[in-house]
Amino acid sequence: MVTHTGTWVRATAAAVALLLLGPMTACGSDESGVPTINFYYAQEQNLQKVVDDCNAEAAGKYRISYQVLPRGADDQRVQMVRRLAAEDSGMDVLGLDITWTQEFASADWILEWTGANKSEAEQGTLAGPLESAEYEGKLYAAPKNTNVQLLWYRTDLVPQPPTTWDEMIQQALDLKQQGKPYQVITMGAQYEGLVVLYNTLVASAGGHILNDDGTKAVFDEGAVRGLEILQRFASAGVTHPSFTNTIEDDARLQFQNGEGAFQLNWPFVYPAMQEGAPDLAAKVRWARYPGVDSGTPSKVTIGGYNLAVSKYSKHPDLAFEAALCLRNAEHQKFSAINDGVPPTIESVYNDPEMTKAYPMKDEILAELRDAANRPLTPAYQNVSTVMSATLSPPASIEEEKTAKELRGSIQDALESKGVLP
Amino acid sequence: MTVRPSEGKRAEWRLGWLLCAPAAIVMVAVTAYPILYSVWLSMQRFDLKFPDEREFVGLSNYITVLSNEYWWTAFGVTMLITVVSVAVELVLGMGLAVVMHRTLVGRGLVRTSALIPYGIVTVVAAFSWRYAWTPGTGYLANLFTDGAPLTERASSLAIIILAEIWKTTPFMALLLLAGLALVPDDLLKAASMDGATAWQRFVKVTLPVMKPAILVALLFRTLDAFRVFDNIYVLTAGANETSSVSMLAYNNLLRGLNLGIGSTMSVLIFITVAIMAFIFVKLFGTAAPGSRDEGRR
Amino acid sequence: METRTAKWRWGLLDAVVVVFALFPVLWIVSLSFKSTATLTDGNFIPREWTLENYRTIFETDQFVRALVNSIGIALISTTIAVVLGTMAAYAVARLDFPGKGTLVGVSLLIAMFPQVSLVSPLFDIERQLGIFDTWPGLILPYITFSLPLAIYTLSAFFKQIPWDLEKAAKMDGATQAQAFRKVIAPLAAPGVFTSAILVFIFCWNDFLFAISLTSTERSRTVPAALSFFTGASQFEDPTGAISAAAVVITIPIILFVLFFQRRIVAGLTSGAVKG
Repeated sequence: MVTHTGTWVRATAAAVALLLLGPMTACGSDESGVPTINFYYAQEQNLQKVVDDCNAEAAGKYRISYQVLPRGADDQRVQMVRRLAAEDSGMDVLGLDITWTQEFASADWILEWTGANKSEAEQGTLAGPLESAEYEGKLYAAPKNTNVQLLWYRTDLVPQPPTTWDEMIQQALDLKQQGKPYQVITMGAQYEGLVVLYNTLVASAGGHILNDDGTKAVFDEGAVRGLEILQRFASAGVTHPSFTNTIEDDARLQFQNGEGAFQLNWPFVYPAMQEGAPDLAAKVRWARYPGVDSGTPSKVTIGGYNLAVSKYSKHPDLAFEAALCLRNAEHQKFSAINDGVPPTIESVYNDPEMTKAYPMKDEILAELRDAANRPLTPAYQNVSTVMSATLSPPASIEEEKTAKELRGSIQDALESKGVLP
Repeated sequence: MTVRPSEGKRAEWRLGWLLCAPAAIVMVAVTAYPILYSVWLSMQRFDLKFPDEREFVGLSNYITVLSNEYWWTAFGVTMLITVVSVAVELVLGMGLAVVMHRTLVGRGLVRTSALIPYGIVTVVAAFSWRYAWTPGTGYLANLFTDGAPLTERASSLAIIILAEIWKTTPFMALLLLAGLALVPDDLLKAASMDGATAWQRFVKVTLPVMKPAILVALLFRTLDAFRVFDNIYVLTAGANETSSVSMLAYNNLLRGLNLGIGSTMSVLIFITVAIMAFIFVKLFGTAAPGSRDEGRR
Repeated sequence: METRTAKWRWGLLDAVVVVFALFPVLWIVSLSFKSTATLTDGNFIPREWTLENYRTIFETDQFVRALVNSIGIALISTTIAVVLGTMAAYAVARLDFPGKGTLVGVSLLIAMFPQVSLVSPLFDIERQLGIFDTWPGLILPYITFSLPLAIYTLSAFFKQIPWDLEKAAKMDGATQAQAFRKVIAPLAAPGVFTSAILVFIFCWNDFLFAISLTSTERSRTVPAALSFFTGASQFEDPTGAISAAAVVITIPIILFVLFFQRRIVAGLTSGAVKG
């Protein structure tokens, strides 16, 4: 027995040592001496082509290496945060969901954009996306792409698209009475999508969740009005039975299955519908997202990604240059057409090639010119987590009580006090 | 008091240390710092977003968490899921183990297929349940209800528990199967000749021999069940008060980047699980590994 | 006649078990063979069958490399964990020495601590040591977090083994090695192979460490690689491809279990008779 174990111990020790000394991490710039710019960005199918293009343009000045981040937004953010907290110098350009920009800026993880870089990033960029890249009056990122939801409706059921929520709910109820498909399909699960919906309602009602510099929870009359509409919508009997567990792709599928007359969703649903349900797609048109008061057009919440430069980058100047290349007009157009991500530079929408890929571009642009951002604060993840938990399920919102609760819990969330749900 | 141990005793000590050293060294080397660091973080106000506000706050994070409503709701949900799923799994797992052990036909097939659920990646399994229970996209929702079961609290919890049971009963069954394999046939035969019924044989002969295996199965399944995350995250994302303590810890730690509160929750989860483990070990007495009494037959 | 009915009865029970275990699996298999258009039509059996999803995952070497990483990492971790676990469990079950209770207690504590809060410190350590995003970077935590289960399972079994048989065999003239091989090894086998199966599945299915401690295809395992599959857009999950991948990565588990489950038999009778 003893001899047996002796051999075991030695063999194991050797194996462990071998494993530890085996493959070691290699890093740094490649042997030619061209600095590598590590670009951390979510998986996007054709982004490598943009990267290749920029590398060709850089002609040996730098070489961008695309480090793919996972699909889930939380996973992307955690991976970058972990490296930044460890002061990792191996990250140069960071792809940030627009709601993370203030957080990264406040934690002092990303560099301010100044001078010529700043002017180039701002040049022709739509105001809404640009605002999402600012913190305390300074620019911290360059908007790469934006996104905005539209109202999709069935022309065979709806002759005239509604312009307000009240109209839409009424039309749905009428259809229901006639025994036709009537549902208003959108995202209502307890997650970011519910916050996007609510934020649009508040902005369209002219309300505010936070004060202008994002330090206090104001939760004004418009915000309460948003609660009221959301509650009424959820309990009017016009939603899909799965409404409170529906995320983007669920909504698309519910609509594709022919269950709805209306859908509020991002533009990806259109190409997907043309592929998955072409007969239905032929009957579907789009319109501006409905507003709250007739005569006042909606203000719709934007999504999208910004590019920032890590504070720990070894080549910040080149990183700014690379970021600008990755999001310039030409590449934004390429990504818009090939990966379905709407541009942030207004002039790109006038390009003839865009008309074919984006038949709905006029409506997108109209909403973008008048867009709403989600609360701009470093504590946005806290605020959003609290809001989605309190608003879910929307049918059980009680205007005054929920408003009071949110006023308190959002203020705590801003100061990162207490516990997140 | 300090009786000098005999030479033989000391040789036994040395052998014991030598055999345990590699395992102990690996475990301590990998986890000592992370665990102590988490405990240390739990006593600080430390939010990665606001690095300047970092300070030592003693036990105040614990007071914050323990006086919070979300925490206790999630705690209740987690307890419910743990108790129900572990209890059901113990019974089902035992049945499954007996079938796997005793069956006269297709033993390899049964054993292998019974273990497959445990081998499926949890997140994928959870997604397939989500599809299955969503009206329009799944076969189960259309079959059993005309509503959307994942939008109601009771039915959501039932589905979460069902998914857990389906996924981890094989774990229980495998451990119990190995325990069954240790029951000496001659003992069973002797009992049978003494006129014991099948049930009596099971209770009087099989169960006592299996005690250590049952303890291990219960212990590890419980501490795993109490940390339930994936199924809830995918199935309901915590809506309708179906959040578990692990989801709270995740939200505070990784979404909120609040390392202080998040670590506090981890420590509290740890303490809860430790108490449950302690109760199990006490209940099983000498069947516990490493207990002083060498109750071997 | 007796055995015929018994066979039928067992056959029926077998069927129940198989249906209970495999019905949900068949649903995943069905999803993996559905086309994008019919993926969510709610039909249990695909209306139109397609291999498209399988073609997608094998189109690039992303998935194959992850598969290689998974197999390598899981096999190495399982081997080491079971060997170390067996050594420690033997000592815990058979020997008396100071510190035994501590070892047993501490290993349980390690298994109990929520892993989500250990990942970030581990990330820092691994980067300092230069093993981040390498095989050892995953193997070490896998060994660590599967050792407690291995030690507990194995010592529970070793405790039940009638070690006196070893002595008896030696008195019958067997050498130490023969006694071990013929008597003890068959008795220990169920425990060892049970642990091996459980440890292997733990390593195979882990997502948390795999996603946090790797960053490239060099060491990314399949569960982590699944979250790098792309759908047609940011909002569409590649459900078909993920299901196909889940089906493919279940095959090695089936082979592993098929191979090792034979060893979980009533060791005592066979051992005692042959010894």
